[in-house]
Amino acid sequence: MTAADASPPQRGAGVDVDAVPLRHPGRWAAGVAIGVLAAMGVHSLVTNRNFQWGTVGDYLFAEPVLRGMWATVYLTVIAMAIGIVGGIVLAILRMSPNPVVAGAAWLYIWFFRGTPLLVQILFWSFIGALYPRLSLGIPFGPSLVSGDANHIVPLFAAAVLGLGLNEAAYMAEIVRAGINGVDAGQTEAASALGMSRALTLRRIVLPQAMRTIIPPTGNETISMLKTTSLVSVISYNELLNATRLIYARNFQTIPLLIVAALWYLALTSVLTVGQHQLERRFARGTLPRVGQRR
Amino acid sequence: MSGEVAVPATAVPTTAVPTTAVPAGVGVPSGGAPAGAVPMVRAERVRKSFGQHTALQDVSLTVIPGEVTCLIGPSGSGKTTFLRCINHLERISGGRLEVDGELVGYREHRGRIRELRPRDIARKRREIGMVFQRFNLFPHLTALENIIEAPVRVRAERRSEAVERGRALLARVGLADRAGAYPAELSGGQQQRVAIARALAMRPKLMLFDEPTSALDPELVGEVLEIMRQLAAEGMTMIVVTHELGFARQAADTVVFMDAGTVVEAGPPATLLTAPAHERTRAFLSKVL
Ligand SMILES: Nc1ncnc2c1ncn2[C@@H]1O[C@H](COP(=O)(O)OP(=O)(O)O)[C@@H](O)[C@H]1O
Ligand SMILES: [Mg+2]
Repeated sequence: MTAADASPPQRGAGVDVDAVPLRHPGRWAAGVAIGVLAAMGVHSLVTNRNFQWGTVGDYLFAEPVLRGMWATVYLTVIAMAIGIVGGIVLAILRMSPNPVVAGAAWLYIWFFRGTPLLVQILFWSFIGALYPRLSLGIPFGPSLVSGDANHIVPLFAAAVLGLGLNEAAYMAEIVRAGINGVDAGQTEAASALGMSRALTLRRIVLPQAMRTIIPPTGNETISMLKTTSLVSVISYNELLNATRLIYARNFQTIPLLIVAALWYLALTSVLTVGQHQLERRFARGTLPRVGQRR
Repeated sequence: MSGEVAVPATAVPTTAVPTTAVPAGVGVPSGGAPAGAVPMVRAERVRKSFGQHTALQDVSLTVIPGEVTCLIGPSGSGKTTFLRCINHLERISGGRLEVDGELVGYREHRGRIRELRPRDIARKRREIGMVFQRFNLFPHLTALENIIEAPVRVRAERRSEAVERGRALLARVGLADRAGAYPAELSGGQQQRVAIARALAMRPKLMLFDEPTSALDPELVGEVLEIMRQLAAEGMTMIVVTHELGFARQAADTVVFMDAGTVVEAGPPATLLTAPAHERTRAFLSKVL
């Protein structure tokens, strides 16, 4: 049944409103101003020969640059995986009824957020100096596996540990905020059904917390993608280091930095799209699905 | 099997004021139950405080299996707190509380009362269904998923069986065609009916309702009360906190009036709702009616 056949014909029903649209002079003024500035910017980009766009084009898809780009992607993925898993674990420990466990998690977060990431990365790369031999075994007892720390903690591990363990501390706070944001009635309803604390967390609380956890996690991932450039200080060969190695040889500093910047921009753009998709997926059940039956 | 376990004098810090009479009419007259039957709920001088604040001062009442007990009383009188004590969502501070002959949240061993492990508390909660004022459905799960979640994960029922039974429960609350709907897509009345079905899916022996219709638009109250009436008619033991005195009059075996953390009086609805013995009850009823 539609409104048309339910009620007597109304005056003007079905006819489009014919009104003079409101004018927006402010929008026009701002548009013109920004347009002029943009034109000046583009003009300078094109005419200033120091940018050397030709060189940028030569190196944009150069093999070492592409390898560095993939190393950056790889580093970001692994570091974020460590960060997210570690963050969830830390957040859960932090909310443990056991004060010792909660205190340990607090200490971890305090330490890793309280010292510069650059210092942590350097620390991991020099761990061989601190503990020349690392061994895996029974605490204070016989060791099962042992080896030279510089072999056990190669450059990649130092980079990933530095980035991931630090990220875990930040993710822990994001996860905790997400968990705290879930209505207490949810935990109560789950408890009343006889669900355990762990089951409630896994099946009821975390899936709902995801909705508030995902947007800041997306931001963290985008931020991580750029932060990976820090590990160039320990000469891990990611995107920035790859371009640095090239301009150290040919002195084409500016064009190669532009190459790096263009790749970072491209990668963050891809991540932004992915973040949007994820947010939509986890909004499930919070909005009526328009246009879908039932 | 007897529900009467000797209480060790030291075990629970009850307020030792044996001379003050338990309010008149408290507890269901013993004639109503077969001799020796274990009460479904037996509260003896239950006390609950939150820090300095005492929410329950002295609550004693008995619920017989198969009966419907309606709790009425002004806001803040401790009705919700008492319900939550029954399935140990709150821990009592004093007195004694038993469900089906067993202490809530504790066990007795060699004359001492010991705290139960979380796992054992959870196991006992399975047998007590709870329906909340604000439904508390899981918003990320569909109606059917809400219902089968606990049977599958907690009772380890086979998924196919749980689904079949979940559909039957949905049909029973009149929502057979809404199995795939998320809570946000349902009206308040429909959500509360799903919540009732979800509680029933655990095959509880006792159902607790905390103002199940208070958050509903007036025209949706009837559909929920109707389900509850059916449930009562089928012999489910129910404790219902409600302001729907019409429902209490029709469905309740016992109505309990609470005020300021105590049971003021209890009795069959015909007596309590029409000829209450206490001035406080009269004052409350005159305000509600
Ligand atoms: N978690 C809590 N912490 C502190 N005070 C509480 C808590 N829960 C309930 N109370 C207090 O206990 C009293 C009884 O509350 P409640 O059981 O919710 O009453 P009712 O359901 O009858 O309205 C109120 O004064 C309330 O403020
Ligand atoms: Mg209440």
